[in-house]
Amino acid sequence: MPESRTESVRVRGLTKRYGPVEAVRGVSFDVAEGEIFGLLGPNGAGKTSILECLLGLRRPDSGSVAIGGIDAVALPRLAKERVGAQVQLASLQDRITPRQALGFFASFYREPAPVAGLIARFGLSAKADSPFESLSGGQRQRLYLALAFVNNPRLVVLDEPTAGLDPQARRELHRMISGMRADGLAVLMSTHDMEEARALCDRIGILNEGRIVAAGSPSGLVSRSGAIPRVAVRAARAMTRAQASALAGVVSSSAEGDTWMLGTADVGATITALMRQLERDENPLLDLQIHRPSLEDVFIELTGRPWPAGPEGRP
Amino acid sequence: MSRARVGRGLARHFLLTLALNFRSRQAIVYGYLVPVLFLLAFGGIFRGDTPLLQHEMGQLLTISILGGACFGLPTALVSERERGLWRRYRLLPASMGSLLASTLVARLVLLASAALMQVALARIIYGTPFPLNPAQALVAFLFVAFSFLGLGLLVAALADDVPAVQALGQCLFLPMIMLGGVGVPLTVLPAWAQAIAGFMPGRYAVEALQRCFSDSRGLQGAGFSLVALAVIGAAAGIAGARLFRWDAGRHTGRAAFAWVLAALLAWAAVGVAAAMTGRLEPLGPGGETFESITDEQIARISFDDLPGDNEFATRLAPPFRGADGERMGGFATALRAWAPGRVGDPAQAARNLLSVASNADVTANYREAEIARVVFDLLRERYKREQLVRMLAWIILNPDEGGVVAQAPELGLQRRPPEPIIRDRNSLYARKLLGRLLGKIPD
Repeated sequence: MPESRTESVRVRGLTKRYGPVEAVRGVSFDVAEGEIFGLLGPNGAGKTSILECLLGLRRPDSGSVAIGGIDAVALPRLAKERVGAQVQLASLQDRITPRQALGFFASFYREPAPVAGLIARFGLSAKADSPFESLSGGQRQRLYLALAFVNNPRLVVLDEPTAGLDPQARRELHRMISGMRADGLAVLMSTHDMEEARALCDRIGILNEGRIVAAGSPSGLVSRSGAIPRVAVRAARAMTRAQASALAGVVSSSAEGDTWMLGTADVGATITALMRQLERDENPLLDLQIHRPSLEDVFIELTGRPWPAGPEGRP
Repeated sequence: MSRARVGRGLARHFLLTLALNFRSRQAIVYGYLVPVLFLLAFGGIFRGDTPLLQHEMGQLLTISILGGACFGLPTALVSERERGLWRRYRLLPASMGSLLASTLVARLVLLASAALMQVALARIIYGTPFPLNPAQALVAFLFVAFSFLGLGLLVAALADDVPAVQALGQCLFLPMIMLGGVGVPLTVLPAWAQAIAGFMPGRYAVEALQRCFSDSRGLQGAGFSLVALAVIGAAAGIAGARLFRWDAGRHTGRAAFAWVLAALLAWAAVGVAAAMTGRLEPLGPGGETFESITDEQIARISFDDLPGDNEFATRLAPPFRGADGERMGGFATALRAWAPGRVGDPAQAARNLLSVASNADVTANYREAEIARVVFDLLRERYKREQLVRMLAWIILNPDEGGVVAQAPELGLQRRPPEPIIRDRNSLYARKLLGRLLGKIPD
């Protein structure tokens, strides 16, 4: 956390158990105002449990949570005044309108935001008086986000905010979340989407089995890791292992069918040498791809296991 | 400041709950259309009542309140929980208890509106009179609604999803409708079912509400029913509040069993208390008790053909003077302590006491006339005049109802004449005493 910024959230040694299962194991992190902090991890890593403890939905077994300096475990209602949240599995009544919902939830807070302003800000004007059941997925998500702002919070907590959205709605939501940082808010979000985390977050905490295994900026995490760029090359005639290993900068090589994967310490030098080699051998190049190290590589390196594939765990 | 703000929020929650209820087609059907169908069905079934439905309004309103509280409330709560609305409420700086209370108050208003609609429609369609005492009817409604909303809250806490609400709700609804005196009138149920009904809140709900429609004394004498409703409602409500879950993913644990048991113990306690105070004595057909006897019914009772006090049947000594009374003192003391004469149902107690006079009369006991006089004196001593008048009229008009004591060796009445003869004499003695109370027979 940059020292010049005001700390909005401070979590220390947070632990949460569900029966014999320890979902969160001594997690600690801070989030500053004007910063987006992402909890990144596959399903079951403990992201939602951490956010729920912070929001007063669950009581932690041990550890402390302070929001704007207030002990959120001892004084949950006071802490809730300062937090705006968009959580998973929290829908609304079919017949309620966005205007009614915003007015109703705002009425519980000391400094409610004007409903008309929220409707305009989150692009809900056309549907402000329509029943919730008639809203599209993107409109609903914008309403949920607007509900997180009914109390003019300084901290916004977003649990998988773009889950299930189409690409356009997703881009729109990303723009809104980036805008929150520009407004000086502290944003704590969870995601299992590495690209989303890389694009949105100033800092990331990578979660695995209830623990934060690494934290830092996305680029810092990648550069600190031992992962190296890889060049994937496919030529008309397969190169020999000796030819591949001898290329400048190459530190590792492996064949995957017709394609050679070349781990390199110097992408430019390796590609230059590769092109010369193929020209010399009169071996036409069919395909060439450069794979930069990613957060997925960082996760694999830290946990020793691949990022879970599939619709919910896709990197 | 903070309390006022949360109060504002809760007021909005209350109003929003009402507004959204009226926007839901399903809620309108179950909350208002179904009660109208029940009203029409009752109007078609109970055609003998005059004015129509006057003596069935207690049942009708109980069904509506029961349905709204045991199905409407938990269905709404569980469906809100399933869609994560209560999870969203949990994020608010307000307690779950206050939001739950606001939901219950909104449901109470909805129940009241459905009940008012039924009363108004009954008046319009069938000419059913309004409650004789509206204020007491409101009190009865509040007790009934409290009891059933408590049960509804417990159903909501136990049910994991809406289908489970239907299953649990039916476990409450159907037994009360069929055996609890709510759908099928108590008086046409067999004695065993009437006894079971004494353990169910439906019986007490019907009694409390019905009194406000057909008994000029209103809730006077309905204390037991009101307490029974309060006890059952409080036990269920506390259990429901303790087990209430805002999170659809969380299931009830083992503690639920203990809380459900505590709620059911309240039913058992009410039933046992009713049995111990003689309230579970079988009632006769007509759906009424002695308290529902009207002045018109009493006025129609004739005293013209009664046998004389010194004739063969139903002999009766003149009022005691001096030594006459002293001679019967031992018997009077024994009769005063005689258990069948002290059962909880006053009409049955009177019937039992009259049976003593009848037994002595039929068996030609050497003190038959004096025994009848002791019985008369004891009844007059034990009950207020107005109550005794209705009890005697009830016995005269319903000679075959209740039980009679055909033999009382503890009082020296060893012989056992046939029961029908005892009943016949009971009726005659009741008329003799009633005539004296009304001043139509000189004493």
